Amino acid sequence: MTTSLLRRSSLRYLIKHPLLMALSILGVALGVAVVVAIDLANTSANEAFRLSSEAVTGRATHYITGSRELLDERVYRTLRVDGGLRNAAPVIDGYVSVPSDPGRTLQIMGIDPLAEAPFRSFTGGLGSGFDLGQFISSNSTGILSVGTARGLGLAEGDRLLVRFEGNEKEVTLIGLVEADNEQTSRALENLLIVDIATAQRLLDLQGKLSRVELIIPDEPEGSRLLESIKSTLPDGVVLEQSGTKTETIAQMTRAFSLNLIALSFLALIVGMFLIYNTVTFSVVQRRPTIGRLRAIGVTRKEIFQLIMGEALLIGVLGTAIGLVAGIVLGQGLVQLVTQSINDLYYVVRVRSLDLSYWSLAKGIGLGIGATLFAALVPAREATAAPPSSVMRRSEDESRLKTLIPRLTIGAIGMAIAALVLLALPGNHILVSYVALLLIILAFASATPGAVILVARLARPVMGLMGGIVGRMAAQGTVTALSRTAVAIASLMIAISATIGVGVMVNSFRSTVEVWLEYTLQADIYVSPPGLVFRRNDSTIVPEVEAILRSHEGVTATYSVRTARVAANGRSSDLIVVEPGPQREAGTRFKEGSRVWDEFGKSNFILVSEPYSFKNDVHVEDDISIMTDQGERSFTVGGVYYDYGSDLGAIMMSRSTYETYFDDRGISGLSLYVEPGKDVDSVIRELRVRLEGQQEVLMRSNRSLREASLDVFDRTFTVTIVLRLLAVLVAFIGVLSALMALQLERSRELAVMRANGLTPRQVWKYVTMQTGLMGLMAGLFSIPLGLSLAYILIFVINKRSFGWTLQMEITPAILGQALVLAIVAALLAGIIPAWKMSRANPANALRNE
Amino acid sequence: MAPQQEKSPVKPLLRVSNLSKTYREGESERRVLRGLNFEVNEGELVVLLGRSGSGKSTLLNLISGIDVATEGQIYFGDINLTDLSENDRTLFRRESIGIIFQSFNLIPTLTVAENMLLPMELTGRMSPAQQAKALSILEEVGLKDRQDTYPDRLSGGEQQRVALARALAHEPLLILADEPTGNLDSKTADQVMHILHRLIHVEKRTMLIATHDRDILDLADRIVSLQDGVLTEVDLESIANG
Repeated sequence: MTTSLLRRSSLRYLIKHPLLMALSILGVALGVAVVVAIDLANTSANEAFRLSSEAVTGRATHYITGSRELLDERVYRTLRVDGGLRNAAPVIDGYVSVPSDPGRTLQIMGIDPLAEAPFRSFTGGLGSGFDLGQFISSNSTGILSVGTARGLGLAEGDRLLVRFEGNEKEVTLIGLVEADNEQTSRALENLLIVDIATAQRLLDLQGKLSRVELIIPDEPEGSRLLESIKSTLPDGVVLEQSGTKTETIAQMTRAFSLNLIALSFLALIVGMFLIYNTVTFSVVQRRPTIGRLRAIGVTRKEIFQLIMGEALLIGVLGTAIGLVAGIVLGQGLVQLVTQSINDLYYVVRVRSLDLSYWSLAKGIGLGIGATLFAALVPAREATAAPPSSVMRRSEDESRLKTLIPRLTIGAIGMAIAALVLLALPGNHILVSYVALLLIILAFASATPGAVILVARLARPVMGLMGGIVGRMAAQGTVTALSRTAVAIASLMIAISATIGVGVMVNSFRSTVEVWLEYTLQADIYVSPPGLVFRRNDSTIVPEVEAILRSHEGVTATYSVRTARVAANGRSSDLIVVEPGPQREAGTRFKEGSRVWDEFGKSNFILVSEPYSFKNDVHVEDDISIMTDQGERSFTVGGVYYDYGSDLGAIMMSRSTYETYFDDRGISGLSLYVEPGKDVDSVIRELRVRLEGQQEVLMRSNRSLREASLDVFDRTFTVTIVLRLLAVLVAFIGVLSALMALQLERSRELAVMRANGLTPRQVWKYVTMQTGLMGLMAGLFSIPLGLSLAYILIFVINKRSFGWTLQMEITPAILGQALVLAIVAALLAGIIPAWKMSRANPANALRNE
Repeated sequence: MAPQQEKSPVKPLLRVSNLSKTYREGESERRVLRGLNFEVNEGELVVLLGRSGSGKSTLLNLISGIDVATEGQIYFGDINLTDLSENDRTLFRRESIGIIFQSFNLIPTLTVAENMLLPMELTGRMSPAQQAKALSILEEVGLKDRQDTYPDRLSGGEQQRVALARALAHEPLLILADEPTGNLDSKTADQVMHILHRLIHVEKRTMLIATHDRDILDLADRIVSLQDGVLTEVDLESIANG
């Protein structure tokens, strides 16, 4: 245990350097804040989804559903009436929007109140306080929670207008339910409970159910019952375990969440370098004091505890501030994350940030753990040297210089290890991130050697610019290498992160732009408004379809249908298209030849690149799809490039689809306009013709492209926010590193002043030196940043989403990085330069 | 004392046997101490003379366990310091040795009183009585009124007086002083030595002082000289005469 006097001494040291301590705390705080905020945002979105999903699932152990996640309502009747199955309840679920409250989505839950009691507590008690007869017999009545009704400004008896696939429908609120606990309250939030018939009307699912829920008793009776149920199910209807659906949907966002978490860790890693730098500074600066303490009998262990104690204090304070900041930041990020999930995956509404104790505990563990880990090396260094040499700084510098060959060899070793990890087969995202970290460490280890090299080259140039002061400034980066190398490495890592993420986002965007360019061939795209941008399975009503297809000036129309099907037992997107020249021109293949000749033929399908990657499916492989006629096998004829969904999709021709599925609806229609005819005027004409009909979105080629890129940009807003935060952490790191370095050299500068250096020359010396360090960091960050970008694009993105992206390096990103590094370094030099040039050299020359 | 000393009737506190220290400097080796043998008895004040670079500080570092000998043994009573681990040497040092450095080596973030109390606190013997006694030493060195001051506010002489008090406060077996007046002007050096002499005689402490300040020699019970890594006894009378 360190003694109270030692602790007091340590505390006074920290208080004596308030700015540096504040910057260190801020560094930890920002790192923790970013990690906690992302974790809370992800957790909140997942938790909101889990609750709403569990609210609907209730106590069901199994469920029965059909080929397109729909089944004929007669299946339920057969089970209940003919099979005598008691614990079975029909459910229809879906989402509608509320025109009076844009942005609000209500989850429709259609139930049979008479079968509900064993399944869900909050629907089991329906009928008390309102007219159950009216609820069942009318097909336009519903129940909301008191809170949701209040939010919509509605009371019992009021009419609620909802919109589904562009059609507005009315529901009368015949009752409001009050939640008796928090769990139920969250489950009931934005949930509109209606009778089965009402749900069928609202969601255009006449004669259909989403599923039939079952409560199957435990073994051995359960197995027998399940077998007997299975034997009665018609083709195309399957029995699944409850939870499978929730799990499948949760898996959709796994890669998305993991990547956000990994990016948030980037901020923490940069923060760790900052701590390392601060603690190293405090150790180096106190080497004489440590030597004195050792000489009067303080043991190595006590010194180690002392240094680690200081780090712990910084870690605890930084983490505490970071947690609070993380919660505040999380409030903003949760909206961005939720928006992305809604754009890309499924409908979820997050009421508020879910303060999960686990997220906060992780933040505490990471903040304090990262701080202690970062402090470990300097703390060990402080204790390793014998007390007789610990007082001499020059020994530290010469030791580092002798270490350079080993550091460089270590850097090469780490780079090779990273390459081996990247070359490992499989889709291990975490392994890829470990490789990424190794590359960062390899560059950091190579930094001291690179600094010596660049300083040697810079010396004559800086001599020309600033005479002896310039040469001294260049040489200063080498004489204090133990300090400058860490500061330069920190800045390099931070800047490289901005290059890496910047190039990745840029490459992704330009790949998507090119893809949109060749994919979007038609002049006008029509679809009903859907709730998930990239997965619109709404249906255009036949009347509207007829108008669109027959409109004057429209030369050709091609339909698209999107459906969810079970393929090889997994829920997958099925895209049904009408083949034609437009489809051929708009699709590029990664695998497969003479695809279009075969496309219309039975049992022939195509899969998107992410689907092929995620499911390891290639040309000639067979996929078993649950159709309305039961499970059927289809052969993959080609793998096409697609950046619309990271979940992947299966493409089928319309004729094949109609052979196996009873569905004749279409989700979208692309229109080709007569050459020379103004597209916007056709859209205007169609709008007039469709007045009073189903509301559909009609977008010109250009506006759809813009809308797609808007969604893309929204998806990457979180990434950009994280990138900015990493830059902020880095900037603070560099500020503290360079300030520490210059302040530590106050004695050296005082000697220079005593020898005749004017305050102006001191200013010049400090500024030129920090500027050179910024330049070095900026230059070193370019190869590291591009390496990071390469790994992000070709390994991590590939392993997470299965996309092939074209790497696009814009000189602007590299230029920005260089400018950022130099400006950060120059700004960081302002305070020390100002302080040093004003300081009385006599004070600095005095003994401590 | 020293190499060829007759066996003393008093039990030696410190016994150095065949002590050598060699430094490696690049490819070559530099032998600083060559097979030293000597003893220091309890209550003795021994002065170690030698020019700058003669190895005086190295010898003190070896005796205090700060550095490790290349060859030979250092005994404190029955304890062979050279057999101890780094950690045990440190524990031994803080219990049994007080050190006064040429450059004072006070801890800048502790006040005068705290600097002085630190070794005592490290040994875990900071009872109120011990604390009062330690503070009385501060009074003896004339710095009682500066006890809450930080070292950077003190003059060189004052700092060395604090260092002196610190070396004595935890009642070590042996006090080692490395050029204690080397950084002081002659008047301040006199004051410091005067205090040191008084304290040592009152407290009956054992002390080994490395110096080339001939004024200190008057206080010595014995004098040894270190030259070219070899230790020789100096005749007190010859010093007095010459």
